[in-house]
Amino acid sequence: MKDIKAKLTEKIKASFDTVSEKDYNGNRLDFHVDVKIIPQILTFLKVNLGYIHLSHISCVDWLEEGEFEIIYILWSPVEKLKVFVRTRINREKPVLPNIDMIWRQANTYEREMREMFGIEIEGLEGAEEFLLEDWQEMPPMRRDFQTEEYAEKTFWSREGREDAIDVREEIIKRSREEIPDFAKKYSR
Amino acid sequence: MSFFDLKGTLKPLTALKQFGKKPHTIEYPKESLEAADRYRGLHYNELEDCIGCGNCSTICQNKAIDMIHIAGIEGSDGDSGLRPRVDNGRCCWCALCVEVCPTGSLSLTKDYLYVSEDPNSFLFTPGLDNPEGKDNLSFTTTEEESLNVFNRVPMPELEGMERVKSFAEVVIGYNEEMAREEAARCISCGLCTEICPEHMHIPEYINAIANGNDNDAIRIIYDNNPLPEMCGKVCTRRCEDVCAIAVRGEAVAIRWLKGYATSTAKTADITYEIVNPEINKPNGYKVGIVGAGPSGLTAAYYLALRGYDVTIYESNKKAGGMTMYGIPKYRFPLDSLDKQIDYIEKIGVKINYNTKVGKDISFEQIYNESDAVFMGVGFPQPWTLGIEGEEAKGSMQAVNFLHEVNDGEQIDVGKKVAVIGGGNVAIDAARVSARLGADVTILYRRRVQDMPADWEEIEGAEQEGIHIVPQTIPVKIHADENNKVTGIEYLMSEMVADDKGGRPRPVAIEGSNKVLQVDSIMGAIGQQADYSFLDGKFAEKIKIERGRIVVNENQQTSDPKIYAGGDAVNRTADAISAIADGFKACKAIDKTLVGKTD
Amino acid sequence: MREKATTLYFGPQHPGITGNMMIRLKVEGDTIIKATTEVGYLHRAFEKLQEKRNWLQSFTMMCRFCVPETDPMEELYARAVEEIEGREVPERAKYIRVMVLELARLASFMLWYGGQNGSLGLYTMGQWSVGDRNYILDLFEELTGGRIYHMYIWPGGVRRDLPKGFEGRVLKTLDYLEKRLDDYDDLMFDNAIFKKRTQGVGIVDKATAVEHGVVGAVLRGCGIKSDIRIDDPYEVYDKLDFIVPTSDGADIWSRALVRRQEARQSIRIIRQVIDTMPGGSVYNKIPNPQKWKLPKGDAYVRAESVRGEVGLYVVSDGGTMPRRVHLRGAAYVHGITLLEDVLVGENIADVSAIMNSLGTCPPEIER
Repeated sequence: MKDIKAKLTEKIKASFDTVSEKDYNGNRLDFHVDVKIIPQILTFLKVNLGYIHLSHISCVDWLEEGEFEIIYILWSPVEKLKVFVRTRINREKPVLPNIDMIWRQANTYEREMREMFGIEIEGLEGAEEFLLEDWQEMPPMRRDFQTEEYAEKTFWSREGREDAIDVREEIIKRSREEIPDFAKKYSR
Repeated sequence: MSFFDLKGTLKPLTALKQFGKKPHTIEYPKESLEAADRYRGLHYNELEDCIGCGNCSTICQNKAIDMIHIAGIEGSDGDSGLRPRVDNGRCCWCALCVEVCPTGSLSLTKDYLYVSEDPNSFLFTPGLDNPEGKDNLSFTTTEEESLNVFNRVPMPELEGMERVKSFAEVVIGYNEEMAREEAARCISCGLCTEICPEHMHIPEYINAIANGNDNDAIRIIYDNNPLPEMCGKVCTRRCEDVCAIAVRGEAVAIRWLKGYATSTAKTADITYEIVNPEINKPNGYKVGIVGAGPSGLTAAYYLALRGYDVTIYESNKKAGGMTMYGIPKYRFPLDSLDKQIDYIEKIGVKINYNTKVGKDISFEQIYNESDAVFMGVGFPQPWTLGIEGEEAKGSMQAVNFLHEVNDGEQIDVGKKVAVIGGGNVAIDAARVSARLGADVTILYRRRVQDMPADWEEIEGAEQEGIHIVPQTIPVKIHADENNKVTGIEYLMSEMVADDKGGRPRPVAIEGSNKVLQVDSIMGAIGQQADYSFLDGKFAEKIKIERGRIVVNENQQTSDPKIYAGGDAVNRTADAISAIADGFKACKAIDKTLVGKTD
Repeated sequence: MREKATTLYFGPQHPGITGNMMIRLKVEGDTIIKATTEVGYLHRAFEKLQEKRNWLQSFTMMCRFCVPETDPMEELYARAVEEIEGREVPERAKYIRVMVLELARLASFMLWYGGQNGSLGLYTMGQWSVGDRNYILDLFEELTGGRIYHMYIWPGGVRRDLPKGFEGRVLKTLDYLEKRLDDYDDLMFDNAIFKKRTQGVGIVDKATAVEHGVVGAVLRGCGIKSDIRIDDPYEVYDKLDFIVPTSDGADIWSRALVRRQEARQSIRIIRQVIDTMPGGSVYNKIPNPQKWKLPKGDAYVRAESVRGEVGLYVVSDGGTMPRRVHLRGAAYVHGITLLEDVLVGENIADVSAIMNSLGTCPPEIER
């Protein structure tokens, strides 16, 4: 497995010099790449290196860092190695190249990413709406979309549960404890 | 394949052989199925066992569980008085509520079907609305299966016989990793804060420790306790008695965690930097405080923060009161004490040491110079045993003995020591004597399980080779011709049930006299106050009942300008109650003088 | 004369559709010339909700991703969390997990037997297999406390050890099911109608399979030997002896043949597991769930479900809640792009059969 990983890294680096890699235990190897070379490196992996199976495409919103991370997970049935191709794009104006000509099923992932994270996929074909219908809010999988707030606004609560009491508050009230404001975030 | 597939047409007809066989289904309602032993049906809650900690409500990822008041269930120590109510319209029967229930009162039943046309009937209080569920339990947890962590992170301690060689601190203290792990056991229910006399914000600071924010923990602790060094080591920690985890396991080590948090600030300067106390501009009021014990120090600290000019008068050369002179240094080392006194002085509290009120300065002078006076005078006078031979050399009072040892004096207790009593003072005196090289025996009137001392202290004493002889009543101290103690004579006692329903009383067995040869005898059967500093006028004015100063809920004595707290006032006689008294008095003084309402 | 094309809305409420989804079919006569899928009827935003729940609470949601086969999802989540945290799992728990996974596969095959035949109008088969599936659900009820949503495999191991005598009851049920599988053969694989309706229908050849990232029985049905349990073994699959059946026909019939053998292989695996299961504890206890934090990191884990490869990508930002949980089911790649392509040229009457054969599961697509 070590040899396979070393050889693969060497081949990738020979063709794409900006790539950095991170090795993990077991059959996993990560490559951090620039978004511009995504189609090229994926094609290279698929056509030249035998990573024919696109197992997954995922997107993570790193809100605090102002970036989306896109992870393409490839699998080679011969080398039995999972390759993660990772890239980060700006959260403000997120644009990704389309790769559904490399793997047809990527189309579905990309449609979902476009809808759920608001990422523009260059040249993607397929209906705008995927899972949502008449959605007016911000793309819902973004971290700053407040689920609870939305639920409270959209739905109504069942009646007859208003008498619920928070245990901590009950104890505070009973013993007249005074919690300073800065400590409240540590209450449960 | 030919156009007509004979085999393919006939083969399926073999299905006809199933004809007349018993079907998979049952005839409901003529027959019904019994659910499996682990089936996750409706909830059942044993209302008596439930303590209303609300952990079920917290873990519920569907927000299906409310905590509500139920008629007939009142809150008490360690019970919020609330009970869970389940909205079965939201429940997904994952049973995580059962897995995290610290008492094991919540379980699921075997109910397969629950059909009703009334939507409101799906909102019910387990145990109250389905008492029959008790006979139908299925999904329950044992201590093993429960998701609560019932075992405490063990506290590293010096080994028993190693301890008696010096006055080194016995409890070594948690390191960071241990503290995080121990803090993570807390379920943040907050039941502990109610029983704490000072209502410290326990779940909050424990959570801060669990999150790795020790500085926040220190800030939260100092919000209402300026002596956490002491409390982190020797507090009576009634909070741990009511810990929800303690119902089926070992309580969260609240005291050690507080100790850990304060120990992360190594010096008073660092503490000052972390707490960064907001000190109000001087408001021109003066407060005099008698006694630099826990209650006096607490009142002084929070009054000083609020801009008061505070002066403490302390008869000894060090502050801390009983926590300085009553507690042996292997439990509460001097540098920890110095650190917290330094810190309190740093924010502007003035302490006049070696100043005995009534001798070096009159109480009246303090009274006249101040806008308010706080008395935290404690119980410095020991009760004597009241038996023959008590004036012999080598017979002493444990409190005085501890005071002198803590003051740095060398005391020769001889080879064999007997300590009389079963409280913490008795154990402390015994363990200190052991450290001075003596072979120590504790004589106690009742049984070991009746001893008011902390069980940890009793255990610690036993590990250090101290003998405990229970059910013994001392009758006489033997002395030689030089009036030097040679032994103690005692009677064995038997426990007699109390007719009035009180705890069993020890009654001496006639003729069971025994003599224990000893060089020293220490009495540790309690202390009382010394109000001699109150001269005529005040002695009349301040109401004292059964040795205790009478105060109202604001710690105010019968003279409205005089407040009091600590052992001389409350019945619990522990440091944390004294701190609570001091804090309450501070708030009351502030309210009276400045009119602030916080 | 060329017939005029018309548009047919197939679903979302349709007995032949697996779950709730809609396919807009452009047809000429009986022949489909274009198919467009429309999903969104089952979106429950589980992945978003999991980001707002702690690591333990999230576990209870995993089983809901796919109703017919809930256990692979639970197992994936548990395994992903264990990988991020580096948590050890007791050996016995791994064996129990494999047993549960294979029982779940069997139950899922039973449901597929019913669905595949029902879509062709052969309803007896469905009544038999769904009835027999109940015996597996009885076992699940006894083991886990739930019939469908087991919530049994969780991070650190499994929730409870096997009840007393459970292995014996599993073996008894397996003996019964094995006999029943022969009955199924008579009714299904020897059935002229079934052959006629499935052979040469819903072709997914090798080239299409690779282009679309096809997995599971559909891939094996076109002659490619691929199974996550062998290729990327998890739990104790590397210690078990079983074969991965393939077939070359690339049609519904071939895929049915593959599944027919796989069901028997599952029985074989469970028997081996029971024979070789070690003793010991079944659960490496997690800390207090409220304060349970995972180190920063991510993990992508895969398992073989009846529909094919299921993957789960989990990201931790070092807190008490997942940063991201992202499930990729087999239906996600089969149910949209592949289905749209495969349906072209087929008859309206075969749409249901093709969907069942591809393992289209809308709950898994939408999550």
